[in-house]
Amino acid sequence: MDATPAVRLDGVSKQYADSYAVRDVNLDIAAGQFFSLLGPSGCGKTTSLRMIGGFTDPTEGAVLLGGEDVTALPPNKRNVNTVFQSYALFDHLSIADNIAFGLKRKGVDRAEIRRRVGEMLELVQLSGQARRRPRTLSGGQRQRVALARALVNRPAVLLLDEPLAALDLKLRRQMQVELKQIQREVGITFVFVTHDQDEALTMSDRVAVMNEGRVEQCGTPEDVYEHPTSRFVASFMGTSNLMAGTYRDGAVVLDQGPALPVGQRDGMSDGTTVSMSVRPEKIWLSDFEPGMEVLRGVIRETVYSGPTTTYLIELAPGVTLSVLEQNTARARMEDRWIGGETVEFGWRPEHCLVLS
Amino acid sequence: MTLPHLSRIRRRARRANGTRIWTWFMLPGTLWMTGFLIASLLLVAVLAVGTTDSLGNPRFGFDLSSIRALTDPAYSQVLLRSLGYSVLTCVICLVVAYPVAYTIALHGGRFKNAMIAAIVVPFFANYLVRMYGWSVVLSDDGPLLKALRDIGLADSGTRILNTGAGVVAGLVYGFVVFMIIPLYAALERLDVSLIEAGRDLYGGPLRTFFFVTLPATRQGAAAGLVLVFLPAMGDFVSAQLMGGPDQIMIGNLIQDKFFQGQNWPLGSALTMMLMLVLLIGMLGYLRRTRKDEAEARR
Amino acid sequence: MTLLRTPTTGAATDAARSRTRRRRGRADRRPRLALSVTVLFFALLYLPIAVVVLFSFNTQKSLTVFDGFSLRWYRAFFHDDVLISSLGTSLRISLVAMVGSVLLGAALALGLVRCRTRLGSVAGLVMLVPLITPEIVTGVASMLLFKGLGMTLSTATVMLSEITFSISYVTVILRSRVAALNPEVEEAAMDLGATRWQAVRLVTLPALVPTVLACSVLIFALVFDDFVLAYFTTGVEPQPLSVRIYSAIRFGVQPTINAVGTLMLAGSIGLIALALFIPRLFGRRGGLDLLSGK
Repeated sequence: MDATPAVRLDGVSKQYADSYAVRDVNLDIAAGQFFSLLGPSGCGKTTSLRMIGGFTDPTEGAVLLGGEDVTALPPNKRNVNTVFQSYALFDHLSIADNIAFGLKRKGVDRAEIRRRVGEMLELVQLSGQARRRPRTLSGGQRQRVALARALVNRPAVLLLDEPLAALDLKLRRQMQVELKQIQREVGITFVFVTHDQDEALTMSDRVAVMNEGRVEQCGTPEDVYEHPTSRFVASFMGTSNLMAGTYRDGAVVLDQGPALPVGQRDGMSDGTTVSMSVRPEKIWLSDFEPGMEVLRGVIRETVYSGPTTTYLIELAPGVTLSVLEQNTARARMEDRWIGGETVEFGWRPEHCLVLS
Repeated sequence: MTLPHLSRIRRRARRANGTRIWTWFMLPGTLWMTGFLIASLLLVAVLAVGTTDSLGNPRFGFDLSSIRALTDPAYSQVLLRSLGYSVLTCVICLVVAYPVAYTIALHGGRFKNAMIAAIVVPFFANYLVRMYGWSVVLSDDGPLLKALRDIGLADSGTRILNTGAGVVAGLVYGFVVFMIIPLYAALERLDVSLIEAGRDLYGGPLRTFFFVTLPATRQGAAAGLVLVFLPAMGDFVSAQLMGGPDQIMIGNLIQDKFFQGQNWPLGSALTMMLMLVLLIGMLGYLRRTRKDEAEARR
Repeated sequence: MTLLRTPTTGAATDAARSRTRRRRGRADRRPRLALSVTVLFFALLYLPIAVVVLFSFNTQKSLTVFDGFSLRWYRAFFHDDVLISSLGTSLRISLVAMVGSVLLGAALALGLVRCRTRLGSVAGLVMLVPLITPEIVTGVASMLLFKGLGMTLSTATVMLSEITFSISYVTVILRSRVAALNPEVEEAAMDLGATRWQAVRLVTLPALVPTVLACSVLIFALVFDDFVLAYFTTGVEPQPLSVRIYSAIRFGVQPTINAVGTLMLAGSIGLIALALFIPRLFGRRGGLDLLSGK
């Protein structure tokens, strides 16, 4: 890893009249990474991005780009560029002029501008559209123009503010792949804001999960999904079967009654109030292996959704677990459980997450 | 430790800069408006308590004779007449504009915009020429009375011009567009499913109209009433072209005091009285809408 | 559970739908009363205009009997030096008032939207005053101010008061347009290396061009047609055309007025239609927004 991070947020806060949009955020983003800021709306992710871009001034702390303090610099003096959520294209300029805007401000000579704009149009597959107006393009095309307009300046860091939010699902999937490819091709650090955890997991090298103005957890996609360090992260990242209870000798005694075996936990004393969770896909319904904890419950609901089937299993009155099964070639439709049946299910203790 | 402190100071300077550029944008227009408009309105107020010298030239001072003169029954009669005409104009405008706006908004189809343009465009064309044409139409042997006589709705003695009806007709013709625009906007926004729900709840179209459509467009109607009342109260052309000496309005009095009579303090006092009436009307409207909004919030 | 309930729900929806269809059939029947009022309204709206236009082509002086087609009154107008010089005066006033009020009003609109200081809210209130003051009051007030400053009433004083009055219109129209602009676009320009001023000049102002043009045309037409303010603030000579028409209408009917009136109506209807049409030239819909802003 590079010694100086491309972006460093050093104790950054943004305080409005009586509330914090961002509170004491410390982040290092290494050069060349695809870094995602993930969180629900209002968690401070966009504000953080805007502070890196220079559109919002932090009330405390410093923003460093490539080791240099840029906290006091306006956006036009920072070597970062932004892809805005609304794309913010210049409607009165052609696609080519939109892309050339930044280079013209820098005073790059004409021939060079033409060459680089051409290159960019090719990269985003819009070579034939150079003379058209943004208004006449489709959503996906406008998104690509916004990307090209930012990338053509070869910024040290590219900021992307929910750039895919306005696209429909299919186009979004396609653009996710394309964005990732482009990032690998140009090797620029991407800071990507999204509220979509799937998007963050599939695209990022590292993810910072934010909530109420703070960074809850920062790590690789596997880290934050498999080993969430807080209840918020556990529940925000997919379905998590989060339950409250008390830890007692290798099991969690739920507030509603039943005790769920979770294995011995080092450094956790009996009687600690905890939250526990098991991911639905980590719960098995058959073919149990040695070392697994097996329990019984009643199927309450079966939800078929193409490649997977989700069962809601009632363990005790008021305690329901969601279980996900793959509809693989081996699984036959007739074998699916139906409501009312009592089934056995099991998990490995190490797949249980216990948070005090 | 000094670094963040320093950068904070610089940052504050930059933020101030960001606002300053917009202040500079705003300044010329604001100064202009304050210098000409606010100053001139204040001058009217000051002159209303001024006097005239022996040659009739206005003099500043503090003299309540002009204000006192307003209590003269001759003036209060004109004020009451102006109020009556204006209120009547408002009511007629509402009654006429509502079906027009309703038809266009709910049954206009793709001609909606064309129809609204067909109303708005001539209304912003020359006011005087339109009023003049209207006075020709309303004249004793003009097309309207001729047609009414032909179908027996009027006899040879029926006149519109030089009567109060003529003045009100002029005011309505002059300002009805200010009623149509807000009503149309309100009806346009009206959710058609609301009317359908009304049919479900109340049944008949008439009941639906009174219980659903009318309340939903009350704000538009209120705005329209104010927009018609303001210019109608201040108008002097209609009374001049359509009315006779017995139909003069407060606008004619003001005009007279400044041009023929040359009594500026009295003219200013009359102007202030007009403003006062309008201010009361405006405040009534604002209180009404605020109450409506409060109810809507609840 | 949900699967079981589906058929009942479907049946209920079907029933509701057919009920709605029946009802909508009734709602779609045009209300006859409202329709006839609308027809009558349009007839009465255009009748006076039609009368003026028709009798401007009359051979005789009469306003009630149409004798035959002639261009007599138009010829009379074009040979009337006083009216022609008034036309020139009116055009000059409109042009100056248009440029002045659009410059001041556009800047004011930009400032009002972007700057939320106390000065901004005061300016916002001041700007509304002309819109809620009848023209006669503004006219009287302007005249008093000019006289009080010791100025002789002239074309220049008309220009000044027309600018004052028009600023509000420009500001109201442009303000909603500026507020509708995406603030991210200006940020994008700064992000790409533009200074704040460059961002305004290169991105914000071009985005406002269609509205500013439409607004200018509208102001030109409004000022050209305005009579009350001009009447109170004009000098004796030269007088704007609308003031001349006022005197002519008041003191006896001259058929020339029909011809002038027809020309003015044609001119302002053309200009206002143009103002409504300009935004469409730039590929934007809904030119009528311009007027509903009032």
